[in-house]
Formats: sequence, C-alpha cells, structure tokens
Amino acid sequence: MLEIQSVSKSFPGVQALRDVSFVVQTGEVHALVGENGAGKSTLMKLLSGVYPDYEGTIFFEGERLALRNPHDAQLRGIAIIHQELNLIPELTVAENIFLGSELHTAFGGLDVSRMQRETSLLLNRFRLAIPPDRPVKWLRVGEQQLAEVAKALALHARLLILDEPTSALSEAEVERLFAVIAGLKQQGVTMIYISHKLDEVFRIADRVTVLRDGEFIGTRLVSETNPQELIRMMVGRSLSDLFPKENVTPGDEVLRVEGLGLAPDRRQGSRSLHAISFSLRRGEIVGVAGLMGAGRTELLETLFGVYPRSRVSGRILVAGHEQQFVSPQTAIAAGLAFVTEDRKNQSLIVKLPVAENMTLAALQRFVSRGFIRLRAEAEAVQRSIRQLHIKTPSSTADVATLSGGNQQKVALAKCLLTQPRIFLLDEPTRGIDVGAKAEIYALVSHLAQEGAAVLMASSELPEIMAMCDRVLVLCEGELTAELSRAEATQERIMEAATARYQTQPRRSEPA
Amino acid sequence: MEKATPVQPTYPSDRSSRFWTIVLRFQSYFGLIAILILATIFSPLRDGRNIFLDPNNLLNIVRFASENGIIAIGMTLVILIGGIDLSVGAVLALCAVGAASFMMRSGFGTIPTVVLVVSLGALAGVINGLVTTRFNIQSFIVTLAMLSIARGVASLWSGGYAIPLAFGDGPDLAPPSFKALFAGSVSMGAINIPVQPFYFLAAGLIAAVLLKRTAFGRHVYAVGGNETAARLSGVNVTRVKTIVFTVSGLLAGVAALLHAALVNQGSHIDGSGYELNAIAAVVIGGTSLAGGVGTVVGSMVGAVILSILDNILGLRNIASEYQMILKGMLIVGAVLVQRQKR
Repeated sequence: MLEIQSVSKSFPGVQALRDVSFVVQTGEVHALVGENGAGKSTLMKLLSGVYPDYEGTIFFEGERLALRNPHDAQLRGIAIIHQELNLIPELTVAENIFLGSELHTAFGGLDVSRMQRETSLLLNRFRLAIPPDRPVKWLRVGEQQLAEVAKALALHARLLILDEPTSALSEAEVERLFAVIAGLKQQGVTMIYISHKLDEVFRIADRVTVLRDGEFIGTRLVSETNPQELIRMMVGRSLSDLFPKENVTPGDEVLRVEGLGLAPDRRQGSRSLHAISFSLRRGEIVGVAGLMGAGRTELLETLFGVYPRSRVSGRILVAGHEQQFVSPQTAIAAGLAFVTEDRKNQSLIVKLPVAENMTLAALQRFVSRGFIRLRAEAEAVQRSIRQLHIKTPSSTADVATLSGGNQQKVALAKCLLTQPRIFLLDEPTRGIDVGAKAEIYALVSHLAQEGAAVLMASSELPEIMAMCDRVLVLCEGELTAELSRAEATQERIMEAATARYQTQPRRSEPA
Repeated sequence: MEKATPVQPTYPSDRSSRFWTIVLRFQSYFGLIAILILATIFSPLRDGRNIFLDPNNLLNIVRFASENGIIAIGMTLVILIGGIDLSVGAVLALCAVGAASFMMRSGFGTIPTVVLVVSLGALAGVINGLVTTRFNIQSFIVTLAMLSIARGVASLWSGGYAIPLAFGDGPDLAPPSFKALFAGSVSMGAINIPVQPFYFLAAGLIAAVLLKRTAFGRHVYAVGGNETAARLSGVNVTRVKTIVFTVSGLLAGVAALLHAALVNQGSHIDGSGYELNAIAAVVIGGTSLAGGVGTVVGSMVGAVILSILDNILGLRNIASEYQMILKGMLIVGAVLVQRQKR
C-alpha cells in the first residue's frame, strides 16, 4: 500500500527525519509512535503534501508519490485528520464535508438537500446523531473529529492518517472513535494511527513503527511486542536518566490561590475556571494535569494576569500579599514567570535575534539613563547561552533558525533573567527532542532546589508523575483532585481528569 | 537498529549564502548605489558637465527627499509594529492650514506656531493610537477615517481655499523667521545648504537611536514581531502602539512646517498621496509590512532613492506618468528582493 524508502527531511537548524524506511500494508491499522519531536508529524506532512520536497522516495499503491500540495493528496486518496481540527467553524457539517467538492443540481446551483442527505448517511455510519445543517462550532471536539473522518470518507480516502486523535477526547468519545476505526478497517480502509499513548496502540493497531529523534527504530507486530519494549525503543534510555528529580524539603508558602474563578468570554466561547484553591511552597514542583480543554493553560494564564480583571474572581496571594494582576507586566513585577505551551506564537518572537528575545522581559535591568547598556546585556546573554547549553550560531541569530529544544531554552532563559520566585510552565517539553527534554527537566529540578516554586502543566503523565511533588488535576475547569507524589498514579490522575464526564449521563450510546 | 545519535542542528553558513545575506541586509544601500550610477550615466550634460552630479542638484535631491523622508521615519515605526498610517498626508494638510492660520489670522509668532502645529500633528496621532488600541480596530481603518476627518477639518478651517503666507514685519504678515527657519539655507563657502535636510537627518538620528538603544525601541520590534509574546513578556503593548502613532502624527506636523514654508501657503489639499510615497520609501528601505523587521535608515535611503528617481527623470524631461510607472516597478522590485531573505 505505502512504502517509505530512505526518506529524509531537514529544516534550518534541525534534521527532522533521517533515512526513514518502512512499509504500511493494505487494510491494516499501522500505529506510529515516538516521543514529541520524534518526527511523526513531519512524516505525516510529507504524506499529505504539506511539505512537497524531501529526500528519498515514497510509493503509494505501487506508484511513486509526488505531491505538490494537500489537494494532490486528497486526489490520490490520502486524508489526514490533524491534531488541530481543520473544519471551518461557521459552516455547517454538510458544508464542511463537501467543501471543495460540492454537489450541483442540473441547473448548476448547489444541491443542498442531496449533500445533507449524504452527510446524514455518513454520520449514521458512526452512529452520530448530528443534524447535517448544524454549524460545526456548536459541536463538541469529539464530534468535530468524527465529522472530519466523515469528510475524509466522503472524498473516498483509501489511506486515513489520524494524528493523535484522542488528545482532546473524553473516554466515551474515545470509545466511539475506536468503534469507527474498527468499522473502517472492515471496509478495507488503511489507517496510520499516530499516538504516544501505548494502551491505545495495543487496543487498535495491527503493527507499530517507532521513530526516535527523526530516525526509524523498528517495526513490530503488536501481538509480538509489549509496552516495555516499545518504551525502550521510544525513549532510548531508562526513565531515571530522563527525569532527574531531586528531593527537596519544601520551604515557605510563596503562592496561595483561593477560590480562583475565570468567567468565560461569551463572544469567543472560551473556557472557564471555577473555585480553584491551592498553595505552592518554595522548592516544590507541582503538576497540573487534565485532559485537553480541562483548563490547565487557563489556570496558568489567569495567575499570570493575561485575562481582564473583570473575568477573574477569587484571591491570589504571593508571599502572603494579595495581588491584583491586571497584566503580565504586573505578574512579572511580583516575581512570576510564564513559559507558554505555544513557543512560536506566544513565548518567542522568532524573527528577532536570540539576544533580543532573552532580555525582552528583563530589559529594565540593563537600562541606565534611558539607554540600554549593550555590553551588560551581551554579557548576560552569553552567560545564559552557556548556562543552558543553548546551541546557536551566535546571539544575533534569529530564533527561527534554532531547533525546538533550543528555542525552548531561550524561552526559559528569558524567564530566568527576570529572576522570578514562581515559575509557571505550560507543556515545557512539548515538541522537543529527548536530549533537550532531559536538560530542561534537570534545569527545572535545579531551580526548585535553589528555592523557586514551580507550577508545571503537562499533558504527558509520565512527566507529571516523575517530576512533581504534588499533582493538581483539573476537569472542565474545576479542581477534581490534589494528589501527593505517592498517590499520583496514572489511574488516579485519569480518574480525576474524567470525573465530570463520569457523573454526567453519556450523550450517546457507545457503539 | 537501535541508534541514539542526537539530532545535529545544521546551519546554512557557506560562503556564497553569506555574501547574499550581506547584500540583502543592506539592500537599500546597494539600491542607492545602483541608482546613483544609473542616474550619473543617464544624466544630460551641460557644457560637458554632468548636471546630475552638480552639488546644487544633489542638495536639491536631499531637500526634496526631506518632507517625504520625515514622514517615512514615522511611517517606519508604525509599520514596524505591524500597522499602517494612511492619515499622514491629511494630517500634514491640517497642520499646514493650521500653521498658515495661526500666523496670518491669529498673528502668532514663529515659536507658538511651531509648538501648536507639532502638537496638532501629535494630537491626531494620539487619536489614531487610542482608537486603534482601545477599540481594537485595525490601524488601516482608523487612519483611513483620520485621513478623511483631517482633510474635512482642514477644509472647514481654511474655508476651502489655500491660505497664502506673506512674510514680513507688521500685522497680517507671517514672521520672516518662519520662512528662514523652515525653508532657508545655510551658506557654507560657495554653496548654500538648504535647511530641510537638517530636520530630516535630525529626525532620522533620533528615531534610529530610539529604536536601537532604548527599551521603547526593543518593545517596538517585539510588538511588531509577535504581539502576544510581547504582551506575555511584560511589554505594555497599548502604550507602545499609542506612542508610535503619536510620533507618526508629530512628524507629519514637522513635515507640514517645511511644506508650508516652502510653498508659502497652507491648503487642505496639501500632501495628497504623501502617505503612499512614505509607504513606498519604507518598503524600498527593506522594512517588512508584516512588522518586526526593518530600519529607519533604510527608509531614509528609500526616500532619497525616490527623490533621485524624480530628479533624473525630471532632468531628462521625461513625463511624470513614466515616473509613476517606474516608481511602481521599483516598489515591487524591492519587495521581491526582500523575499529572498527568507
């Protein structure tokens, strides 16, 4: 079906794929696993025509695949369901499904009723009771995802690529998706299932291929391997090397949050938080866990003064003093630092040099009589580059030319220069290679040892469990559990993360 | 099968790419040199001497570049933060009418007139900035509205006619010091240097130092490069934007002083299309309309390049229609060169 032969792809500053070869057979569910930054998404972007040039060859149904753009991929019968959904929120389900391949009546007008009928038929196959004329923005994330699968099938896709499809789904939605996948397999659709959740791989895949740091590590029959082997292949080292957690006796309380709430913004339909209370002490690393959309990011953003005061309720006390954070500026002044989950769009200004990014938040330190003391600034930048082992051609190179791990270190360096007492880290190791991950864990551990307090939100449970002294679990904007290091098992965390879903009646019967 | 080699970053650093990096970084200077050479070659000769290279002609070029150049400096800041200021030409008209009215009708002296006119320009800029930031409206729209409003106010103020400036001592006359200060010249040996370039250079120098050596300047690049990241880094985005629009309006006021003194009048139709000339100078100077990338010096060079183009085509008696066509091609060419940077 699909044969990938010695494929390599590099970007400025990073070799994303190096000499990768493997085969996907017709009608199988082929899992592709690996850590963040292993090259899974890059490979999928090659298959879906997002990156038209690469080295090596790909054969699809016996023919050499030369895609110039994503539309070419659609024509060849390859469909990809991205982690970020690609439906147009304002359009209806039917309009989205037939976008670009609309059905017409004999008179040339749009055949709306036939498109809606066919949409209903497709949705029925998934036991999805969504009216085809409903705008996509009103659907839940899981429903949107299935609508996208439906769209791919409407285009007669023979190869369906699912890129971490469950990261935003509740348990019930995951079950429904798996039922759909099983159904599609019976119909002969070949699927590549990208995930780093091994339990899912063992449930639905026939074979599994492991990538690490852009290289092919191996392909196994799911029936002939086990999670331990896959983890070893994925990580390439033992877990204790990766997570150098130091034991620290917690000191004084530096942050206390009482009844923190965030009202949703009606216009944007954004998420909200309800009555969250916890405290953070010097030397502690506290994890924030929860499913996607549980409010992890919103919690950190609220603490950092990102939202207008009118939406925020409750009290925030830093070292015993109540603070009213009206802007990130005020939060930074009180000793907070925030590393955002979206490095390129929120943390860094990628078209500016490394140096200017690093000192942006702490510029006032280098200003005397209105002018920046360039030498003092340059020395501080060089110190940070050495201290964090940042690999950059020079301090004047644009951040865009650095690899993901080094970009993240620049973001951390920027925070460190403001000399904060409290670190808010959102997905600090997302999309970076294992080596850089280990370095960032070591740095976070070191910061805690030196007396900083760290609040770390993450979607990766191994990271949370290995690094944190305590774990806060959020579900639908509420704090559903606070677990000590000993209590924080995968089961306990997941139970609390889905607590609100389980108490509600399920919206549709499992398939 | 199991390999653990870390990903090696690769950096483009071969010699030819470095050469092009340098050429592209200083694209506006290379453009300036190229157009100087071309102008020298195509210049008509008088008595065997190259008219283009005549010192007085060269000074004229800089003099005519100054008004547009000063506006382009303000425009550079606005474009650096990812905005645009379409109101500068209209604000210039409003300020020129104001200057003429203050001196001819109200009998104000030079200093009060200068202070009031520059403040008027700054006020228009403050309004642009506040409306853009408080109501979160694109600057394109806000300054388009200001363009219309400023011309409307200027026309009401002047009564729909140009207010002529007559210089001299006595009532109903404008102070001669105004003419000398903004349209005079400084004699240096055999040649008289017009004053306009001094304002141009001073404005450019101040803006360049502000951008490169102060926290405000860094914040301008940060806001234009990525507004969200800038805000999360503690930059007061609203304040930076408002100041930038204020500076743009203020510099339009300064340009209005030069304009009124040069043409001896203040009219509501002054400065028509100046916003487009300023944007052209900024773009030719290598500043990205996407924000975050560019320099004031580049825009100054861009203004001079446009002035040379006008000058040499004028010297060869080529119709102004061709000047417009060539200018258009130059703008697209500059952007194409810029795209190679990425």
